[in-house]
Amino acid sequence: MDIKYDFSSELVIPISYGSSEAIETGKWGFEKPETAFMTAPCQEVCPAGNPIPQFLYFAGEGRYKEAVEAILKENPFPGVCGRVCFHPCEKDCNRIQYDEAVSISAMERYIFDVTSNQHLDIHPLSHADSKRIAVVGSGPAGLSAAYFLRLLGYQVTLFEARKELGGVMRWGIPEYRLPKAILRKEIKRILQLSAIDVKTGMRVGEEISFEELNRFDAVFLSPGAGLILSLGIEGEDLKKVWIGGDVLDRINSGDKIRMGKEIIVIGGGNTAMDVARSALRLGSRVTVAYRRTRSEMPAIQDEIQEAEEEGVRFEFLLQPVKISLLKNKKIRVKFQRMRLRGRDHNNRPKAIPVQGAFLTRDADGLIKAVGEGVDLSWIPETLARNSLIDVNTSFITPHPKIFAGGDAIDQPRTIVTAIASGKKAAISIDLYLTGRTHDDVFPKIRVGNRGALSMEAYLSGRDDRNWSEPKDVVSYPQLNTLYFEHSKRTNMCKLDRHQALKSFSEVNLGLTTDEARLSALRCFSCGTCNYCFNCYFFCPEGVISLDPLHRTKGVDLDHCKGCGTCAKVCPRFVVHMKGLS
Amino acid sequence: MKEFLTGNHAVARAVRLCRTPLIAAYPITPQTPIYEKLSEWEASGELKGIMMRTESEHSAMAACIAASLTGVRTFTATSSQGIALMHEMLHFAAGCRVPVVMANVNRLLAAPWGFWADQLDSLSQRDTGWIQLYCENGQEALDSVIQAYKIAEQVFLPAMICLEAFFVSHFMETVEIPDQEQVDRFLPPLNLPHRFDIDKPGYLVPVVPPELYRKYKHMAQTSMNSVKEIATRVDREFREGFGRGYGNVEPMMLEDAEIAIVTAGSITSTARIAIKTLREQGHRVGLLKIRLFRPFPVEEIQQALVGKKKIAVIDRNISLGSGGIFCQELRAALVHSSDHTLTFNYIAGVGGTDVDPEVIEKIALDVMNRREPIDTPIWIMED
Repeated sequence: MDIKYDFSSELVIPISYGSSEAIETGKWGFEKPETAFMTAPCQEVCPAGNPIPQFLYFAGEGRYKEAVEAILKENPFPGVCGRVCFHPCEKDCNRIQYDEAVSISAMERYIFDVTSNQHLDIHPLSHADSKRIAVVGSGPAGLSAAYFLRLLGYQVTLFEARKELGGVMRWGIPEYRLPKAILRKEIKRILQLSAIDVKTGMRVGEEISFEELNRFDAVFLSPGAGLILSLGIEGEDLKKVWIGGDVLDRINSGDKIRMGKEIIVIGGGNTAMDVARSALRLGSRVTVAYRRTRSEMPAIQDEIQEAEEEGVRFEFLLQPVKISLLKNKKIRVKFQRMRLRGRDHNNRPKAIPVQGAFLTRDADGLIKAVGEGVDLSWIPETLARNSLIDVNTSFITPHPKIFAGGDAIDQPRTIVTAIASGKKAAISIDLYLTGRTHDDVFPKIRVGNRGALSMEAYLSGRDDRNWSEPKDVVSYPQLNTLYFEHSKRTNMCKLDRHQALKSFSEVNLGLTTDEARLSALRCFSCGTCNYCFNCYFFCPEGVISLDPLHRTKGVDLDHCKGCGTCAKVCPRFVVHMKGLS
Repeated sequence: MKEFLTGNHAVARAVRLCRTPLIAAYPITPQTPIYEKLSEWEASGELKGIMMRTESEHSAMAACIAASLTGVRTFTATSSQGIALMHEMLHFAAGCRVPVVMANVNRLLAAPWGFWADQLDSLSQRDTGWIQLYCENGQEALDSVIQAYKIAEQVFLPAMICLEAFFVSHFMETVEIPDQEQVDRFLPPLNLPHRFDIDKPGYLVPVVPPELYRKYKHMAQTSMNSVKEIATRVDREFREGFGRGYGNVEPMMLEDAEIAIVTAGSITSTARIAIKTLREQGHRVGLLKIRLFRPFPVEEIQQALVGKKKIAVIDRNISLGSGGIFCQELRAALVHSSDHTLTFNYIAGVGGTDVDPEVIEKIALDVMNRREPIDTPIWIMED
């Protein structure tokens, strides 16, 4: 060390102009810090395994392009999911235990909306002799599978029976929840990023035979569930009895329909809510009759609440048993009164009839929305089981080169589950075509323990067939909440009720720029470093270096004494102390 | 210009007059009015400096040391527990040879808890290498701040001025406020070496070998010793400029006295009255006020007390197991004097108890009756 010992000058104190770096104080320690990213519970519960802390970090920094690129690694539909997803992520948000959940869904929507016209840096892998894959059906599962298969370097041909892409997103979800313009933008971007060979107006079984799909190296089936289910009651075929899926399809096709003043909707799922709210917009008064109670309704909670707010009435524990036409051209619906008793095979409370208890309701029309079946007429019988397409946990049908996903297989019928099945099937197809089994790989690329898989994790180990162990999930007690401040959650503004009911304009208005920024910054970023610099500031040795722009971090291990301060002060459980062996 | 001010506000006024660009402090009763006044002036723009609100007195002193090393004038104020917490940094300040100036309002140290006047807080920092001046009233506190900068900046050592809680800090008195130009002439803009320089980064307080440590201590001691002479000169210049002076020590009616009462701080004012009364009664009693405590003005004290028959030192402090600290120092200063005057130590005013003229008269009469030396202190209690 170069110490200047100055007795003569006015400095009167020793000053060192050298460095004490030569002393390797790092040798004194018994532990060293390690940064290990963890899985946040929001991410774990998302069927698509969306990298939520990561995209919220970028959004909080105003780096929206990077935010959307992060989402697109795992989910090609931020614009759709940000609008119609049932967002389980918000229910499992760790922040709920502190104050209120982060507005994840609204943020996903915002990130899509502000970047929808931007050029993105996402490039498919390239293969010299890439194999060809057919995808049947262009709903969320089909488009997701096609997108990820293209990113994996395959040539993808997408067959769609109708004239436009989108499946249930295009024909089943009303405009006021998912504007067609948004969906078109989203699909356009997917096609731009992944160059899929799209064949619309090609119904397999008609324009092209199922056998012709054999010339592809693999096939992914995602026809959706569009088959009308029958109530099995008298009067069901009356002219004034509408079918939920048809009603939505016709409205989404631009048909002008008149339904009458008083409408009864039968059902408790999303279709029931969508038709009920659509009927309100067409000028009807609407009553939803459901055979169980509100808490058993399978529809998304937000939708039930919004339907209530808009004026839909609900009558519970009613099952229609007969529909008859009255002389005044109205219909009369006879309902059996039900009660809940015991549980069915899905562990849902069972509705059973109350002996002799009936009531009637008169209306101008009735809409059946009791669920949809899968049309299996065009596929070989061997692929079907229990009226669905039969797949195993890797989305493989009994035919080894045929895969399936979406609403046609046995899984919850939500957009995000369909997207997730498309992604998982794409990985499964890649494993099949490269001669590997999923058993070794799926457990390594899982996002937590609830079924989601990570495409990014898959790609990271794909080349050398070596995947690191999956990350653990961060629980609330593992966070150091001392460094957080309480704040209110921001919800999106909505169209006022009267305004909303006048047209099919989108009800949720999205976040403002400021709201979005603040919402993103509310994220605890559980398990993901968001460069809060706590470790940097608290490190007594000054041996930590962080570069948020290039997303790098480092510890000068030659001088880290292993005191563990960085691990203690990390609010998000990213820094962990590891003993030296 | 005369103003009716508390001792605290007189100190704040002095800091402003000295154009101190960096103040770092933490509030503590009874010093807080200094802090508040300076903050108020910072907010109104009357104080042309930075008022750093630190999270502790320890940090306040660290900030003053660092700032001073960049070559600027600095100030802090504290009291009692605050100066106790600052202890470690007081050594650093002296060791780093920074002319930081501090006002310490003498308040008792816990436990038990209290806010009252007692000099033990600053006296127990006597070995930290700080210059210490004990002030009798608000005027002297104001003047001593100005003098302290001038002394400290010549010897590169920190200086604290001490004023007692409430008796000085909160009592309002008429205080003569010097003109700014006059102060500017007396205390020109500071030109200290920039020992912290961002263009030439260095590390202070490096490890030094034993011989060097001794060398730096020896240098500091030499500088400290020179303070007695420098303080005398600065006080003389001050008297010439402002018409007031205090000396390192101040004798009163001492020349022909047989008995000397020795005081420091506010008790001196009371003693001045008591001495007059005693004189009127025909007792040959005089007074010696000690203002400069570090360095201890040994020679001046020896000179002032030569030939006295008895000495009574009144201490508003107690070093448990020994006695009053001023008395210890005074006895040590006189140990080589030929006649070995009998010196008695009276503990009075500890914990902020009142020392009125009658108490001092009582002490004087007590001394007169004593024939035998006594090593232990004599406590003055209420009857």
